Amino acid sequence: MNGVSTWLLILTPLLPLVLAVPALRARLPWPCHVALLPALALLAMPADAAVDLPWLLLGSGLALDAGLGRWPLAMAVLVWGAAASLLPAAGGRPVDARLASWFLLTLSGGLGAILATELVGFFSFSVLMGYGFYALLVSGGDVPARRAARVYLVLLIVADLALFEALLMAASTAGETAFEAVRPAMAASPSAALYVAMVLVGFAARAGLWPLHVWLVPLSRSVRPGVVLLLGAVPVATALLGLVRWLPLGDASLPGAGLVVQGMGVAAVLSALVAMARRRGCASWPAWGCVLATGLFAIALGAGLADAAVWGRFGGWAGLFIAAVGLAVALLVAACAWRRTGGVPVAGRADDAPAWFERWAAAAVRRAARLGMETLPRWRAAGLAGAACLWRVRAWRRALDGGERLLQRWACAVILVVLVGIVVALAGASFGGR
Amino acid sequence: MPFAGVPWEVLIILLPLAGAMACFLWPRRALPLALLTALAVSVGVAGLGWQVVTQGVKRHAVGGWGAPLGIDLYADGLSLLMLAVTAVVALAVGVYARGYFKARAARAFWPLSLFLWAALNALFLSADIFNLYVTLELLGLAAVALVALAGGAAALNGAMRYLLVGLLGSLAYLLGVALLYHGFGSLDLAILGERVEASPVVWAAMGLMSAGLLLKTALFPLHFWLPAAHASAPAPVSALLSALVVKASFYILLRLWLTAFPPTDAVVAQLLGLLGAGAVLWGGMQALRQTRLKLLVAYSTVAQLGYLFLAFPLASVMGWGGAIYLLLSHAVAKTAMFMAAGNIRRFGGHDRIADLDRVAQRLPLTIAAFGLAGVSIMGLPPSGGFIAKWLLLEAAVRTNQWWWVVVLVAGGLLTAAWVFRVIGYAFTQARVPHAPRAVPVGMEWAALAMAVTAIVLGLVAPWPLALLAVGAPFAGGAGG
Amino acid sequence: MSGEAALPLLVLASSLLPGLVIFFLPEQRVALRTTLNLAGAVLKLALVGVMIWGVFHGVHYEARLPLLPGLDLVLRADPLAMLFVVLSSFLWLVTTVYAIGYLEGSPHRSRFFGFFSLCVTATVGVALAGNLITFLLFYELLTLATYPLIVHRGTDEARRAGRTYLIYTIAGGALLLIGTVWLYTLSGTLAFTSRGFLSGLDASLHGALAVIFVLLIAGLGVKAALIPLHGWLPQAMVAPAPVSALLHAVAVVKAGAFGIVRVLHDVYGIQFAAGLGLTLPLAMLAAATVVYGSLRALFQDDLKRRLAFSTVSQVAYIVLGIAIAGPLAVVGGLVHLVHQGLMKITLFFCAGNLAETLGIHKISEMDGVGRRMPWTMTAFSIGALGMIGVPPTVGFISKWYLGLGALETGQGWVIAVLAGSSLLNAAYFLPILYAAWFKAPAGDWPAERDFGRRETAWALLAPSLLTAFLTLAFGLLALAPFSPLQWASFIADLEYAR
Repeated sequence: MNGVSTWLLILTPLLPLVLAVPALRARLPWPCHVALLPALALLAMPADAAVDLPWLLLGSGLALDAGLGRWPLAMAVLVWGAAASLLPAAGGRPVDARLASWFLLTLSGGLGAILATELVGFFSFSVLMGYGFYALLVSGGDVPARRAARVYLVLLIVADLALFEALLMAASTAGETAFEAVRPAMAASPSAALYVAMVLVGFAARAGLWPLHVWLVPLSRSVRPGVVLLLGAVPVATALLGLVRWLPLGDASLPGAGLVVQGMGVAAVLSALVAMARRRGCASWPAWGCVLATGLFAIALGAGLADAAVWGRFGGWAGLFIAAVGLAVALLVAACAWRRTGGVPVAGRADDAPAWFERWAAAAVRRAARLGMETLPRWRAAGLAGAACLWRVRAWRRALDGGERLLQRWACAVILVVLVGIVVALAGASFGGR
Repeated sequence: MPFAGVPWEVLIILLPLAGAMACFLWPRRALPLALLTALAVSVGVAGLGWQVVTQGVKRHAVGGWGAPLGIDLYADGLSLLMLAVTAVVALAVGVYARGYFKARAARAFWPLSLFLWAALNALFLSADIFNLYVTLELLGLAAVALVALAGGAAALNGAMRYLLVGLLGSLAYLLGVALLYHGFGSLDLAILGERVEASPVVWAAMGLMSAGLLLKTALFPLHFWLPAAHASAPAPVSALLSALVVKASFYILLRLWLTAFPPTDAVVAQLLGLLGAGAVLWGGMQALRQTRLKLLVAYSTVAQLGYLFLAFPLASVMGWGGAIYLLLSHAVAKTAMFMAAGNIRRFGGHDRIADLDRVAQRLPLTIAAFGLAGVSIMGLPPSGGFIAKWLLLEAAVRTNQWWWVVVLVAGGLLTAAWVFRVIGYAFTQARVPHAPRAVPVGMEWAALAMAVTAIVLGLVAPWPLALLAVGAPFAGGAGG
Repeated sequence: MSGEAALPLLVLASSLLPGLVIFFLPEQRVALRTTLNLAGAVLKLALVGVMIWGVFHGVHYEARLPLLPGLDLVLRADPLAMLFVVLSSFLWLVTTVYAIGYLEGSPHRSRFFGFFSLCVTATVGVALAGNLITFLLFYELLTLATYPLIVHRGTDEARRAGRTYLIYTIAGGALLLIGTVWLYTLSGTLAFTSRGFLSGLDASLHGALAVIFVLLIAGLGVKAALIPLHGWLPQAMVAPAPVSALLHAVAVVKAGAFGIVRVLHDVYGIQFAAGLGLTLPLAMLAAATVVYGSLRALFQDDLKRRLAFSTVSQVAYIVLGIAIAGPLAVVGGLVHLVHQGLMKITLFFCAGNLAETLGIHKISEMDGVGRRMPWTMTAFSIGALGMIGVPPTVGFISKWYLGLGALETGQGWVIAVLAGSSLLNAAYFLPILYAAWFKAPAGDWPAERDFGRRETAWALLAPSLLTAFLTLAFGLLALAPFSPLQWASFIADLEYAR
C-alpha cells in the first residue's frame, strides 16, 4: 500500500506537468480529467501518505496529512474537475491546445502546493500555479481581463519577492525549510515580526485579501466562466493554505500582528458587504464573495495568531475552512453563471481606462527614463566625444606634424646631435666624479 | 666532438664575405650561392653557440696577436644571441627575397645583403672600439646601398640622407675612439674598462660616442632619417634595417656603457631613459597617424627602439635582460611585419591603410603574420615582447621608478591602437573588386614563420636568458 | 610525461589543434571542418570528464612550463578550475553545433571556426591557470581571439564595436599586468593558493596590496562588465548570435568574473581581503552594477541589447556572491557562474533563432511569435524565468544561496538589491514573454525563412532546448551529486575549511 501511495503522491503534480506538453497528450482523450486521476486515487487512500524527495530542489517532500491537506485537496479535485469540464465549452469552440497546457500547468502547481511539506516546495509549486493562472486569465481574455491579469501579475511578483525574503529568513534561522521545523524556529526568532509581516503581505496579495483585492473584481467579471470557477479554489485557497502553513501559528503569540490581521479581516468583510449591497448585478459577486470569505478567514487567523492557545484548540478546522471557501466561491460563480445564461459578459466601460496604480507606474518609468537612465550614458558619450574632439583639435595635429618636420631638418638634427653629445658629456662630468 | 676546435667565429665573418664575392662574380647563380652561404653561416653560428654554451666565453686572437695590439674576436652570451637572431632574420629574409626581387635588383641584393651580414657578424664579435668603428662603417655603407636598391626619387633621397647620417654618426664615434686611445693607450674594451677613470677626456669621448651612436640608433629626437629610409627601401631591406642594423649601434652603445665607460651617476641613465620614453610616445603617436603602412611600421620601429633605452635607468640584470629580449623579439617581429607590409603592397599595388579592405581579406596568412607580429610588438602574452615587457616592468617596479611603468604601459596601448587600426581593415568587406597580383607562397610563409617565431620566443624565454648570462656581460658596470 | 601532467595539456590541445587546422581549410570543406569541430569538442568533453573524476578523487593534475626564471606557466586542475572548465567545454560543444547551423552558407567560416576554437582554448586556459601570470596570458589571448569574432560580419558597426571592445579590454589588460607585476615584486610568487598567499606579508605593505587589488579588479572588471567598465558589452552584441552566446555565457564576461573569484580566493584569500576592508566596496560596486544593468535593460528595444544589459546585471551577481564573503554566498556566486551561463546561452540561442528564422531583432517585432516558434519560445521563457529567479529554475538556486549568504554575514542590504533586481528582471523579461505568447502576430515576419514542417533548423533548436532543459534540471536536481551546486559547495568547503 505504501508504495502505491508514494507513487500517487509523486504522480499527482507530475502527471499534469507531463501532459502539459502538447505532443504527449495528443492521443489522450480528456487529458485534463486524466491528469486529476492520481489526486483522486490519493484521496481514496484512507491512510496518510508521505514521501521524501531529498534530490528535488533543495531537499523536498510531498505528503498528504489528514488535518490540513485532505480537505483542500478534495475541494481542489472537485473544482478542477468541474472547470475541466467547462473548459471546452468556453466560446463554443474546441479547447485550444495552449489553453489546455496552461490549465495543466496551473493544475500541477495547485495540487503540488497542497502536498508540499516544506517552504521551498510550496513556494515553487505556488509560483508555477501563479504564472499558469495568469496565462489562463490572459489567453483568450478581453482587454479588461488582460489589464486585470496584469495587475494580478504585478501583485504576484511582489508577493513572490516578499515570500522569498521570508523564505530566506526562515531558512537562515531554522537551518532547514520543513514546515514543522520552521514554525517553532521562527516563533523563537527575534525577527519573527518581520517574518510574519512578509508572509502576510505575500499571501494577502495572492489571496486578494483587503486591501490587495484590486485584481479580483475586474477579473471575475470578464474572464471565461471555466476560469472564474477556479478563482476561489486556486489562488485564494492556496494562499490561505500558505498562511496556515508558513505562519508560526500555535507556537507564538503575536497580539499586535493578530490585531492587524483581524482589522484587515473586518475591513474586508465590511467592504465586501457594502460593495455587494451597492451593486445590482451579480457579475462581481464571486469576487466580493472571495473578499468576504478571506476576510472571515483573516479574523479567525488573527485570533489564532494573537494567542497560541486559541490556535491550538481551533486550528484543526483550518483545512476544512479553506476547502469551504473554495467550494463556496465556486458555487457562487456557478450560481451567477446560471442566472446570467445567455447574456454576454458585462464589461464595464469604466474598466477600459487604466487604473490609478498603472498610470502612476507608467509615469514613474517615463520620468526615470528622462531623469537618470538615459542621461547618464549621454553624459559619458558626451565625455568620449569631447575626448575625441580634443584629439582632433588642430593644435594637436599641427604639433605632431610640425614637430616631425622640424626634426627632419638637417640644421635641427645636427644641433640636436651636438646637444645630446654635450649634455651626456656634461652630465657624466658633473655627476660621475663623485 | 670533432668540431670543438673549429674557429667558427672567424668562419662566420669570412663565409658571408666569400659568398658576397661569389654572388657578385656569378650573378646568374646568385640565388643558390646566397642561400647556400646563408645555410653555412647559420651552421657556423650554431657551432659557435655550441662552443660558447659548453666551454664558456670565447676569445680569439686573429692572426695570433692578442690585445692590445692585435684584433680580438670575443663571443659571450650577448654576442651569441645577436648573432643568432641575425642568422634567423637573414635566413627568413633570404627566403622572402627569393620571391620578392625581379632579376635586376636581385643581382645587387644578394651580394650586398651577404656583405651586410658579414659586417653584422664582425660587429657583434668585435672586442675593441676601433674594430667596432670599422664594422659600423661597413654596415652603414652596405645598408645605404641596399636602400638605394629600390630606385626612384624617394628611395634615393632616403638613401642619401641615410648615408649622411651614417657618416655623421660614425665621425662622432671615431672622434670619441681617438680621444679614448689618446687618453688610455688601448682600444680593447676590456682593457679600457680597467684603465678608464673619470676625467674630462672620458666625458668628452662619452658625449661624442653616445651622440654618434644615438644618431645611428635613431633614438628620438634623432630619428628623423629612419622612417624615410626604412619606408622607401624594398621590403626585405626594410626588414633587415629595422630588425638588425639599428640594433647594431645600440649594441655598441651597450657594450661601451657596460664595460668601457666609468660608472656615472644615475642622471645620464635617466636622460637616456627620458629620450627612450620620448621615443616610445612620439613614435607611437606618429605611427598612429600614418596613412601608409610601411611608414607606420617604420615609426613603430622608432617607438620600439625607445624601449631599449628604458633599460638604462632600470640598470639591473633584469632590466638589461628585458631590453635584450625586446631587441630579439622586436627583430623577429618587425621582420615579419615588414614582410607582411611588402606582401600587401605587392598584392594590391599600394599600401594606403584606408584602402586595405580590398586586399586584406585575400591574404589571410599575411594578415595573420601581421597580427601575430603585432601581438609581440604590443607586448601581449604569449610572445617575446611580453616577456621583455614583463622584465622591464618588474625592474621598474622593483626600483620604484613608477614613471617608467607608465611609459611602458602607455607605449603598449599606443602600439595596440595602431596594430588594430590596421587589423580592423582585414575584416571589412571589400567594396570595390580589383585585380590583385599574386604573391608567391614563399613570401607569405616567410612572414608567418617569423611572426610565429616571435610568439614562440615568449614560451622559451629561460633559454635565451640563461644564454645571456654566459660571460656575465651585465654583471660589472651596471651604469648607474 | 605522466598522465597527471598530460591531461591539462591535452584538454587545451583538443581545441587548439583543430582550431589551427581549421584556419588552413578551404572554405568549401564543410564536412571536414564540421567533423574536426565536433570531434574536438567531444574529445575535450570526454577528457574533462576523466579529469573531473580524478579531481574529485584527489588526483593532482598539473603541467608546468618554465616561462621566466622563477616563474612557470602552470596548468592545474583544482575544483574551482573544473567548475569553469566543465562549463566552457560543455557549452562549447553546444555552441559549436549551434554555430554550424547558424552560419550555414555564410562566408569566412574557416576563419570563424578557427578563432572560435582559439577562443575556447583561451577560456579553458583561463580556467586551468595555476598562477596569475598563466591566467594573464590566457586572459589576453582571449581578448585577441574574441576580437575577430566580434568584427566577423565586417560591417562598420561591427568594426566600431570591435574597436570599443579592444579599447576597454586592452586597457584593462594593461592594468592587470601592472597589478600582477607589482604583486610579484612584493610577494615573490604568483601561484594560486587556497586561502591566498598574501596574508603573511608585512603590515606596512597592506596599503600597496589594497592598491594592487584595485588594479586587478579594474583589469578584470572590464571583462566582467562591472560598471563603469561595461560600455563594450552592449556594443559587442553586433556579433553573430553564437558568438554573443559564447561571449556572454562562457568566454569573456565569465573569464573576468572567474578572475575576480581567483583573485579573491586564491591570491588574497577572502578572509584576508575582508580584513583589508576590500570586499565591502567590491560588493557595493557589484550591487550597483546589478541594479544599473537591469535598469538599462528596461529601456532597450533591441532584443540582444536588452540581453546584453541583463548580462551586465547577472554577471555582477557572481562578483556580489564572492564579495559578500560568507561560505553560503560564495556557493551562490560560484554556482551562478554556471547557472548564468546556461540561462544566458539559452536566451541568446533563442534570440539567434528568431533572427535567423524570422528576421526578428527587436522586441516590438515579437508579438505572437510564440505561436510560430513554440519550442524556441518555450526555451526562451525558461531562460527568462530563470533570470528572474523563479523556482525551480537554476536562477532561483543562485539567488537562494546569495540571499542566505547575505543573511549569514548580516548584510541585509544585499537582500534588498536581490529583490530589486528580481523585480526589474521581471519588468524587462515578462513583457517579452507576454508579447510572444499572448499577443496576436502583427502581420508578416520581417524576413521569414522556410524550414518545412519544423519551426527552424535542428541545429539551431536542439542546443537551445538542451540548455533550457538543463536550466530546469539543474534547478530541480540541485542536490544531485556532481550538480553545479554540489561542486560549488565542494569548492566553498575547501576555501572555508569547514
